[in-house]
Amino acid sequence: MASRLIVFGILALIAFLMTAPSAMTLFTSLKPPEELILPAWTPPASITFEHFERVWTDGGFRRYFLNTILISAVDAIVMIGLASMTAYAMVFMSFRGKLALQVLFVVGLMIPVTAIILPLYTTIRSVGLINTHLGVIFADLALAMPVFVFMFSSYFVSIPRALHEAARIDGATEFQIYRRVVMPVSVPAIITTGLLEFMWSWNDLLLRLLLLPREGMRTLSVGLLNFQGQQTRDIAGISAGTVIMAIPVVLLFLFFQRHFVRGMTAGAVK
Amino acid sequence: MADLELRNISKSYGATKVLHDINLKIDDGEFIVFVGPSGCGKSTLLRLIAGLDEITDGDLLIGGERSNKLSPKQRNIAMVFQSYALYPQMTVAENMGFSLSLERRPKAEIRQKVDEAAATLKLEALLDRKPGQLSGGQRQRVAIGRAIVRNPRVFLLDEPLSNLDAALRTETRVEIGELHQRLKTTMIYVTHDQVEAMTMADRIVILNAGRIEQVGTPMELYNTPATEFVASFIGSPKMNLITGKAAQEYDAATIGIRPEHLDIVTESPHWQGLITLVERLGHNTIVYAQVPDVGPVTISLEGQHEYQVGQNVGLDADLSKIHRFARDGRPLV
Repeated sequence: MASRLIVFGILALIAFLMTAPSAMTLFTSLKPPEELILPAWTPPASITFEHFERVWTDGGFRRYFLNTILISAVDAIVMIGLASMTAYAMVFMSFRGKLALQVLFVVGLMIPVTAIILPLYTTIRSVGLINTHLGVIFADLALAMPVFVFMFSSYFVSIPRALHEAARIDGATEFQIYRRVVMPVSVPAIITTGLLEFMWSWNDLLLRLLLLPREGMRTLSVGLLNFQGQQTRDIAGISAGTVIMAIPVVLLFLFFQRHFVRGMTAGAVK
Repeated sequence: MADLELRNISKSYGATKVLHDINLKIDDGEFIVFVGPSGCGKSTLLRLIAGLDEITDGDLLIGGERSNKLSPKQRNIAMVFQSYALYPQMTVAENMGFSLSLERRPKAEIRQKVDEAAATLKLEALLDRKPGQLSGGQRQRVAIGRAIVRNPRVFLLDEPLSNLDAALRTETRVEIGELHQRLKTTMIYVTHDQVEAMTMADRIVILNAGRIEQVGTPMELYNTPATEFVASFIGSPKMNLITGKAAQEYDAATIGIRPEHLDIVTESPHWQGLITLVERLGHNTIVYAQVPDVGPVTISLEGQHEYQVGQNVGLDADLSKIHRFARDGRPLV
């Protein structure tokens, strides 16, 4: 009993530490200006949405929100198609250079984005895609592709080989097998990929800061920096902006949580 | 419908050769069973015929046409898999009509063909269910239905009964036999179960270590096995294979006596044995005995007998039914 209490206590402490920053951010975003001098962990005595209004209109978040939604949604949708097709070829098809391609994807998994940020910037600039959503989307897809190819591959190998063979016997082409047999049974992997890529794209700062310097092209993560000066910061603005930025991701995760966990653990157990 | 011919078919995976110069002619409408122990290459051979694996060497002729490079679709064959391989997201009707929908046939035609196959296999009530809502036997029937709908030239069945329980296996075995009688389509059936092979086949192909040991009707294989391996593989209980002094008496390296050709006698027995186990099956009794200088032997007696473990009995063999084998496993005439 005592050991259970200790475990419970440790878990409760970890849960508190994990949720405290989110709670403090939410409290701060809802506090009227006169309450902002109080410690961050005190809940607001009266609730106001003025910081949200300010951030949304004066802070340019309306525009940033649309930019972010556009980039993240395109990233997620295109990534599902590209990664699943690549993984399908890797798992179900035989072709020359397959091993070399697999090695390249593994290498891609190991290289951090910061290590290649300068050549990436130069490449994007040389093709004239700086300050375009397309430039960021290309960079996002290229950088995250190995992760999702790996994820889809892990899922596809758990699909019985006989299904693929039965479809071949039935006269299906590889694309028909992919579209009508393999993808419909890969919903957890599709949702996990879509959700993860959307979240990564949504939260990314580095690439957007570098590739989208123009005001009208900015995303939410870059927009948050507007509330941070060298000597001062608008803590209520940052908090409201953070909440605005977090809401879609939290909602998406809550909605697809069950599939997400299934996708992440696919192939882990028989 | 079509006949098949396999000419010097070989299959290698890298440096490992798994099938060696397979030569076989299968007549139009014939029910052929490939049988052999695990790893003998029977499923690999079926996959080569299906077009799921590439033939390393030799020629495959379907309906007289060289088909090595044809896709499974172009070969116009249907295959029933051991695991059924039904598409889990589709209903029974969609599963059965999938190949026709790929050909963009009119919906009414697909529905009509699916309904016909469903009626043949008593699947009418299950057409809107998903495979996950079916029992093993029902899934197997859907898998067969999916093959029937296409009206293929050749049916390939890869151990289709191995996931069913004993009662259902017997029932489905009969159904497949009846289906073949009705459709008269060439069927190639793979199994490791020699009882399935004996009861269903027009001809049996016995494979061992990637080679054909013998091809023949069930009774040919039973009565005149071409090798010691065939003799031991066909028949249940297995043939008694006796070596040593007892075999030398008959000028052979090994002699084979089927359990039903041994008898327990009281007068002038050839051997004396000690009973180690008795299996009473009702219609017959199987007695296991240990015979000095011979080894363990199995005796199958018709009807019910009251022999006991530990009892000493006299044994006699029907000399006209003894099979004699040379050291290389070939029969001595």
